[in-house]
Amino acid sequence: MSIAAPLTPKQGESERLSTVLTTKRVGLGGAALGLIAWILPLPPVLARSPWPSIALGLLAALAGAFVVLDPKHRRLGGVTIFFGLVAIPLALAMTNQSAANVSQVFTWSAVIASGLTFTTPLLFGALGGVISERSGVVNVGIDGMMLMGCYFSVWGAYATGSWVLGMLIGMLSGGLLALVHAYFSIHLRSNQVVSGMAINFLAYGITGYLLVAQFGNNGTPGTVPTVPNLVLPVIKNTAFFGVAFGRTNVLTWAALLLVPVIWWFLFRTRAGLRLRAVGEHPMAASTVGLRVLATRYAAVTVSGVLAALGGVYLADGFDGSFNFQMTDGRGFIALAAVIFGKWNPVGALGATILFGFSSALAYRMETFSATLGTLFQALPYVLTLIAVAGLIGRSRPPAADGVPYVKE
Amino acid sequence: MKSSALKRAGRSAVIPLITVLTAFVLAGLVMLVTGNDPLSSYGAIFDGTGLNWLFPWVSGHNRTIAAQDLQQTLVAAAPLVLTGLSVAFAFRVGLFNIGAQGQYTVASVIAVWVGTVFTSMDPVIHIVLAIFLGALVGAGWAALAGWLKAAFGAHEVISTIMLNWIAIWVASYLFQEGGPLQGTQALGNPVSNTIAGNLHLPVIWGNPELQGLDVGVFLALIVAVLYWAIIRRSTLGYEVRAVGHNPTAATASGMNVARSYIVTMAICGAFAGLAAGIDVFGWEFQVSSTTISTSQVGFLGIAVALLGRNTAIGTVAAALLFGALETGTAAINLNPSSINPELAPQLTLIIEGLVVLLVSTDLIALRLLGLPRKLGWGKPQAATARGDALAVDDPARDPAEALRPEPGL
Amino acid sequence: MTDQTPVLELRAITKRFGPVVANDRVDFDLQAGEVHALLGENGAGKSTLMSVLYGLYSPTSGEILVDGEPVRIGSPGDAIAHGIGMVHQHFMFIPVMTVTENIVLGSEPVKRGSGAALGVLDRRASRRRVQELSDRYGLAVDPDARIEDVSVGMQQRVEILRALYRNARILVLDEPTAVLTAQEITELMAVLERLKADGTAIVFISHKLGEVLEIADRITVLRRGRSMGTVPRAGATEQSLARMVVGRDVIFRVHKDAAQPGRTILSVEDLHVRDDRDLEAVRGASLTVRAGEIVALAGVDGNGQSELVQAITGIREPTAGRIAVDGTEIAGRGVRAATAAGIAHIAEDRHRVGLVLPFTLAENLALRRYRQPPLSRHGWLNLKAIRELAVRLVEAFDVRGGGPDSPASALSGGNQQKLCVAREIDSDPKLLVAHQPTRGLDVGAIEFVHSSLIEQRDAGKAVLLVSLESEEVSALADRVLVIYGGRIVAEFPPDVSDEELGIAMTGGAAAAA
Repeated sequence: MSIAAPLTPKQGESERLSTVLTTKRVGLGGAALGLIAWILPLPPVLARSPWPSIALGLLAALAGAFVVLDPKHRRLGGVTIFFGLVAIPLALAMTNQSAANVSQVFTWSAVIASGLTFTTPLLFGALGGVISERSGVVNVGIDGMMLMGCYFSVWGAYATGSWVLGMLIGMLSGGLLALVHAYFSIHLRSNQVVSGMAINFLAYGITGYLLVAQFGNNGTPGTVPTVPNLVLPVIKNTAFFGVAFGRTNVLTWAALLLVPVIWWFLFRTRAGLRLRAVGEHPMAASTVGLRVLATRYAAVTVSGVLAALGGVYLADGFDGSFNFQMTDGRGFIALAAVIFGKWNPVGALGATILFGFSSALAYRMETFSATLGTLFQALPYVLTLIAVAGLIGRSRPPAADGVPYVKE
Repeated sequence: MKSSALKRAGRSAVIPLITVLTAFVLAGLVMLVTGNDPLSSYGAIFDGTGLNWLFPWVSGHNRTIAAQDLQQTLVAAAPLVLTGLSVAFAFRVGLFNIGAQGQYTVASVIAVWVGTVFTSMDPVIHIVLAIFLGALVGAGWAALAGWLKAAFGAHEVISTIMLNWIAIWVASYLFQEGGPLQGTQALGNPVSNTIAGNLHLPVIWGNPELQGLDVGVFLALIVAVLYWAIIRRSTLGYEVRAVGHNPTAATASGMNVARSYIVTMAICGAFAGLAAGIDVFGWEFQVSSTTISTSQVGFLGIAVALLGRNTAIGTVAAALLFGALETGTAAINLNPSSINPELAPQLTLIIEGLVVLLVSTDLIALRLLGLPRKLGWGKPQAATARGDALAVDDPARDPAEALRPEPGL
Repeated sequence: MTDQTPVLELRAITKRFGPVVANDRVDFDLQAGEVHALLGENGAGKSTLMSVLYGLYSPTSGEILVDGEPVRIGSPGDAIAHGIGMVHQHFMFIPVMTVTENIVLGSEPVKRGSGAALGVLDRRASRRRVQELSDRYGLAVDPDARIEDVSVGMQQRVEILRALYRNARILVLDEPTAVLTAQEITELMAVLERLKADGTAIVFISHKLGEVLEIADRITVLRRGRSMGTVPRAGATEQSLARMVVGRDVIFRVHKDAAQPGRTILSVEDLHVRDDRDLEAVRGASLTVRAGEIVALAGVDGNGQSELVQAITGIREPTAGRIAVDGTEIAGRGVRAATAAGIAHIAEDRHRVGLVLPFTLAENLALRRYRQPPLSRHGWLNLKAIRELAVRLVEAFDVRGGGPDSPASALSGGNQQKLCVAREIDSDPKLLVAHQPTRGLDVGAIEFVHSSLIEQRDAGKAVLLVSLESEEVSALADRVLVIYGGRIVAEFPPDVSDEELGIAMTGGAAAAA
């Protein structure tokens, strides 16, 4: 707009100010202030007075209140207010604790290691969800498929004496259960949410039944070969990175690696383009000769295999034991991460890291008090709720997600 | 007229029956494959349900024990009727309430808390107040999911599941060692205070000491009738059904879809909350962190509603079935020589999963019987253009009648 | 011409859906380099026939020959392999993908070498080929734009390009002009001439007599699934074709007397409304409708009609402006306030907006008044009163195909529309808003709706008719308003010529004003 009439200096200034201080930027800045308010009482700053955080928190809330007035940015404003206000009790609680306690919980290297642990199963599940939903099939059964991976990896490792075979058997079991979901939701055109819930119940029952039937009332032996950690030769001896990444499980690295791989598959390959086309508009995809049903079958099956890998990690990535319904609803958090991550593998990574790290912190909170530790277990679920309600904004699901395709 | 009504009733009963039978047969196959005898196992489970009390000439079992088992079956079925109705009501407006478990949990916390304070209150008022407040809080908990849906478009499946886990963790926190609501006599156990004996719901059949049948079962039946009346006879139910079938048309007729979602969910939550009330005052008398994290009443409600096809009478029947299964597979009621008591509850989950899976599509049952043609369910409607073929919506085929596929989960 | 082997021949195609016969032994043939029009009313079986040809439906019986050889077309993939390309009436696109992606989808160029095995997309090659085709046939498109962001006209060009990209020798265009402006129609005709000259065989499906006579070499007429014969263009007239289409001389106009307008019922002032995408769709529209007159709002689809109607009927909240019904201000007060003020609304889309299909006729007929006595009291329905209402209306409006207790989904389209009309008229409104009230209806049902609207006018009601069909506008209107770009840009008397109306509808008048 170089041909616009020249502005008087004063006008120009306010013009410039208003372009720099757009509502959106005020909101984002406020949210950033709120975050700083959260971080101040934590290491490495470890502020011992709550006041800086309270001031910043209030400022953030104020910015949020300003933003919320603009109907276009209500969500952003709400989130900013929330960030700012939560910072205050948080700062009070943190500064009330001894610095030693705070440092112990927030030893960042250990938080990262633990956070990755919690993130890994969620990430596998969410990646599976992304694949399935991009093809147009809602997969509420991720939790069940994950649980299948849990049980069968342990059983497989126990039966074959090899964690690799255990892992493969676990993946196979998840894929098979996913095929059931695929058959019902694609072929029989069941309601996909109902079918997915059924898959979960089925998996809870099957794994529980087999656990008792095969291992008796005392549970798995706990001596099966487990998926090893990847010990990084040089890094393992460094102080920070050694703790954070030095002994990370093979499957964690695999999950992280899968993020760019799946992104590249979806957005850069022919098969990925076709998969997305099928999920957006199956009729259109079909009229150019694509095989809608076959594509969806493949996507759902792969989704089950990925979810099961999350389960493999959960059971056989640790001490190689299995408990009833040990996924604890992680599959559902993974599902929420799919939505929160806007059906994109990179977004899913971000979402699962948020949930994973909040879980890690909740467990570490038990240093403060075991009682409060339990309460903080609810944190990832609260975050998910807020995320699904507030932060998605205009994200758009694949248009045909969850809608059965009727050929004729 | 008469015969078509009969046919309809027949149709709606036949398919769930086939579904249940198929589920039992498939679960029996699982037992067979894993080296258990399905017939003797099912026999043991049947005896455990107490249903043998109704057939004294078949079973040589102890009548007293059978009666006690049957009382337990009914005690277990009553809350399932309510959580089933909770899920069913949401289906009617097109929502999937997976949150009955969480609504049940918050309500049981409130009910037990109210029931153990205000000790000087008149007992009847005290019970009513506690159950009412429990239902109210359950309603609020559920309405939260409805509001998140109406205001932000948050999918209720995700939000109700999250609310379940939040409820479960917060409740566990409240009752655990050192938690604010831990009982004064609990001594290291994560248990609430116990409700005084004069506040127990009266037992109408059996021994109050042995969890006889309390009046809670009547409350469940009353709510089932109320459910029918709301759905079929009230303007609210009319609106709920209209929104469930076609929110666009409902909006164009002046209905407020957002309000429908919130009100419907609140009613669902109240139903689930009542389930908690009759459990707490009927036989539990206290709430512990353990029962909270192991309870399945709300989740079973999903299977109950689906199997009952969202009708009042179907839900009652399905609740009886699942109540019987729960009781029959409870370790304490089983004869260990027939089936490992640890195994049986897992069998319930398998059967539940199969039932939900099979009712998710009636096609299996229909194909087995070749029914579609007989009942005139061939190709739905004439389709003269491609678009029409896709637009056809045959509600008879969809168990969650009003549950539309909705992009974005 | 007849001695050549036709590139395409359909022999005795029959397609049944349950008891309904959509195509009954239809014959059709097509020569290279000709345009063969398929003419018929909505529901005559044109689209079904083409869906059979394109592999979307499998025929119940009959035979398809390509270049004289019998072929089996079981899927669109088979059709494409035989050189058949389809331009769908409802475009078959992935809205969030780009023009290029939509064109190449299904036969995408992949990178050579190691990329081929993995199927890595060669996006540069895709774009280049689209650009080449676009230049060659003069079909201007933006290869990198998302489909949902480009105009309807460009979307149609993309559909044609997609067929050409797949080397289509036979091009089927299903009602291609329905969504186009006059200017775009002219452009399309030029493109078709070019393709024809290139040797492409074209099937042109339409229900508009004029354009068929303009473009087609031969014309086949379908009526109720049967072929009524094939005629060459030479010698065919609108009258002769119309007789073949409907089987009798068409009554193009319902009789109506001169209007006797009374006081102003609806007054809309400087109304602004945003659409679902938060763009301003109605930008300062003002209009009035008086008692006893039919005001037609003419315009090309997507110029703010839907949003304007939604604002007037209370479904959508306007951002600014006033709406008054007989003096009562209702803007932004919701549907109930609008209904209470005396507005009735025959919705544009009866399946989505007008009816709750799984509801019974009785339940559907109660939708407007279920909250008022006698239909309900204190929140409880009076089922008897609801049924009595239904019995009365089904009788009075001659709704056929079901009783008060049958689901609305069981009725035919025409009877469903009767249901909507019955409900709205029975609410005794001051203003009747009829939004495309005859869309997708057959001639008989159209007559019913038209005469109902005129009856309402003669009974002293104000009628606002929103229509995309200029024939309907000229048949019913007492005054014609033209909406363009969210504004009322022109007002005409009912005898306005099609040319004048067309110019105003495509923005000509706005430019002149």
